[in-house]
Amino acid sequence: MLRNELIKKSPLRILEKSTHDGVGAGNIGVLAARKGVGKTACLVHIATDQLLQKKHVIHVSFASDTSHIVAWYEDIFKEIAQRYKLDNYDELHDESTRNRVIMNFKQYGDTVSKVQNGIRALVKDGHFSADMIIVDGFDFSKSSPEEFQVFKNLAEELNIEVWFSATVRRDDNKTDENGIPLILKSFQDNIAILIQMEPHDTHVHLHLIKDHDIIPAKDDLHLKLDPQTLLIAEEG
Amino acid sequence: MAYNIKKMRNIGISAHIDSGKTTLTERILFYSNKIHAIHEVKGKDGVGATMDSMELERERGITIASAATNVSWREHPINVIDTPGHVDFTIEVERALRVLDGAVLVLCSVGGVQSQSITVDRQLKRYNVPRLAFINKSDRSGANPYRVTQQLRDKLGHNAVLMQIPIGLEDKHEGVVDLITMKAVYFDGPSGEIIREDEIPEHLIDEANEKHEELLDAVSLYSDELAESYLEGNATVEQIRDAVRKGTLSLDLTPVFIGSAYKNKGIQLLLDGVVNYLPSPDEIDTKALDMSNNEEPVQLYPVEDKPAVALAFKLEDGQYGQLTYIRIYQGTVKKGLELTNTRSGKRFKVGRLIRMHSNSMEDIDEANAGDIVALFGIDCASGDTFTEKGLNLTMTTMYVPEPVISLAISPKDKKSADNMSKALNRFGKEDPTFRSYVDLESNETIIKGMGELHLDVYIERMKREYKVDIETGMPQVAYRETVGTSARFDYTHKKQSGGSGQYGRVAGTLEPNTEGDYEFVDQIKGGVIPSEFISSCDKGFKSCLAKGKIIGFPVVGVKVTIDDGAFHAVDSSDVAFQLAAIGGFWQAFEKAKPEILEPIMKVTVETPSEFQGNVLGSINQRRGIIIATNEEGAFTIVEAEVPLSEMFGYSTVLRSLTQGKAEFTMEFLKYSKVPTNISEQLKKEHLEEKKSESKKK
Repeated sequence: MLRNELIKKSPLRILEKSTHDGVGAGNIGVLAARKGVGKTACLVHIATDQLLQKKHVIHVSFASDTSHIVAWYEDIFKEIAQRYKLDNYDELHDESTRNRVIMNFKQYGDTVSKVQNGIRALVKDGHFSADMIIVDGFDFSKSSPEEFQVFKNLAEELNIEVWFSATVRRDDNKTDENGIPLILKSFQDNIAILIQMEPHDTHVHLHLIKDHDIIPAKDDLHLKLDPQTLLIAEEG
Repeated sequence: MAYNIKKMRNIGISAHIDSGKTTLTERILFYSNKIHAIHEVKGKDGVGATMDSMELERERGITIASAATNVSWREHPINVIDTPGHVDFTIEVERALRVLDGAVLVLCSVGGVQSQSITVDRQLKRYNVPRLAFINKSDRSGANPYRVTQQLRDKLGHNAVLMQIPIGLEDKHEGVVDLITMKAVYFDGPSGEIIREDEIPEHLIDEANEKHEELLDAVSLYSDELAESYLEGNATVEQIRDAVRKGTLSLDLTPVFIGSAYKNKGIQLLLDGVVNYLPSPDEIDTKALDMSNNEEPVQLYPVEDKPAVALAFKLEDGQYGQLTYIRIYQGTVKKGLELTNTRSGKRFKVGRLIRMHSNSMEDIDEANAGDIVALFGIDCASGDTFTEKGLNLTMTTMYVPEPVISLAISPKDKKSADNMSKALNRFGKEDPTFRSYVDLESNETIIKGMGELHLDVYIERMKREYKVDIETGMPQVAYRETVGTSARFDYTHKKQSGGSGQYGRVAGTLEPNTEGDYEFVDQIKGGVIPSEFISSCDKGFKSCLAKGKIIGFPVVGVKVTIDDGAFHAVDSSDVAFQLAAIGGFWQAFEKAKPEILEPIMKVTVETPSEFQGNVLGSINQRRGIIIATNEEGAFTIVEAEVPLSEMFGYSTVLRSLTQGKAEFTMEFLKYSKVPTNISEQLKKEHLEEKKSESKKK
């Protein structure tokens, strides 16, 4: 399959359509779920879709090292390439690697300013024209709306779309009347798109909670995380 | 000391640049009474560390050549090899690890697992070398041995187990708590030579108990006896040590020691660890290949009464002739013993037998299995196997990476030319990653090596040691040529100019080969090319690989299949088919979208975070791909892939961008296609060069 065809057929086009053109530059989208449900897989699929569109992605992680993030990208890319019988595998793989930078931070102290400085240095001094930033593993329970505002400002300043993952703890699984997890309640003004990942017996359902100004969102995405491939897929 | 192989240890000291390997080795020599005063690397006394015997090493404060010495610790003879950290001298680490039985992986308490620690660890794994980790520089600001231990687990996948915890860190680093004996250990006296055991300080008791439990949990897996005693609550020191030893020897466990070599803390306990946990030569499974029996593996026995088998792993040409370092794997090597070099078949008698201590030496009469010694006056190459009594065995040799950078050099006068030739001959013999040859087209002498520093050091040595007055050109990248697609060839070589003619026709396919540099496939059916000429075709194709047609660099990654051809009963010959193959190769090469490949380096820059923007910008300017950035305290570590051609002079640029506060390392990663604009530029330069050469002629 050719790249253009693959992009057109990607289930992420459904996500964009259902959310009125997606998160959009300068905005923040959040994927919320309990630990181990598949947030990283979804974020990496979203990022890979951008990379296949020749866009540039910065992946911010708070893991102990970056090698397993690279492994995630390799796995998801391989899965997509095999599933859709992608032409020019090597060329597209090399291009994707070139257009992706992983930034790893320790989450303590003045993390937010360090992340902000790092991204700014990469985009401005490093001349890396990022289209999307993925922030995986950020601890909302230890952060404040003011700190989150820094990310929103950065997204606007650099005109970049940002995706976060948010871990909802098992013992803190409560939501407000609109379905927003309480842990994200104080951050909701700066979240454009909020998707809750709900584990079912055979798959993980991607439930749209906030769609820009519409809370609760009117439409459902009809998307799932396929547990076999760890890719986002249409619900059958 | 009487020979007892069970007490012998052969260890290497390996690590990232500036982790303190040479400083640690200096302490090992001091505490084992080999030297009587400590001298520092780049010390103010102008003496320099004992193991950095070369003038250049002392000036630059780096280890260039690995140096061997031997010490004795608690009646255990230990051969120690201090290896360089800089990746340009990686062959020194390779060959040391090839012959060593165990290693101490030194890590900086602040820097942690750095890029070269990862490279060294890969080398240790390649030769299955059991290792201890020593977390050095615990006296430094920002020292955190716990973080480094976690990095050993996360980044290197080691089952790292703390043998000690520090008593104080940074400027309060006083000593360690030994988690096996559960005693505090301090290092008193002007040079830390007096070991004082005491009770664990009160504020560390809980932590020590917790880490002691962790240690027992981790190591009881390796000993049923310990597991039983542990459950009953009466595990003994001997049982724990025995279990640590088993885990270490099986490469499942990395015992972690803590200290500060510079401040003389923790070294004696590390030496105890070497004798307690690292293997003796008779615990290593060593096999050789029997050259008389289809290279079947043959078990070697590290005993005195078997015929001797030894491996020459390092050569040095000194004022008394060639010095050959050998590791004896079986039998005894004595003065006067007749040995055979398996590769050349040449026999020789052992003359002077030497035990090395850095650059000084001690004559000995014999050395036994397991030992590392040196021979004088033997003509051999690095990696040769010596055997006794008609054994036709060879040891597997070490991994030798291909050089990636070259430099044209020319002597200024006749005397320099003679001396340069002597120097190149010696360096080539000593270091398999250093090559030299005369380019017949330009008549220039070209030297090739692993990096700018590597070539710099040899040029400096030529100037100093051989008094060569020399001019150097610009460093050149070792490009490669390959094909991007498959193409057919059908070529007839036909010549009739009196006498017997030449005739040969070959047809087939040239295509990219991801499996290796060159593959030849014979699919000739019906004898259209007689079988005696098939190897001629192979020979013809192979001869094309040395120099490509785009910019004159070697051709790699190609597969040639022949499936058709023709011959003439009288005019076909070996030469005719070789020439037909050459014609066919170039015919297809031009059609098969030929490409230029360039070496890509894995570059790691450690910079204060305030300068990360400058560093990222400098990598971007150099066609680099930033793979990742890692925040480590006030530092950012940038990992990138950058073409070698863009990295010349980077150390100067980095220094000015970061006020000299950033450091970088780089090593060869892969060959990758050159972008079209650069490829066109290279082609243009090649063409101009050829034109100017033909004008000269």
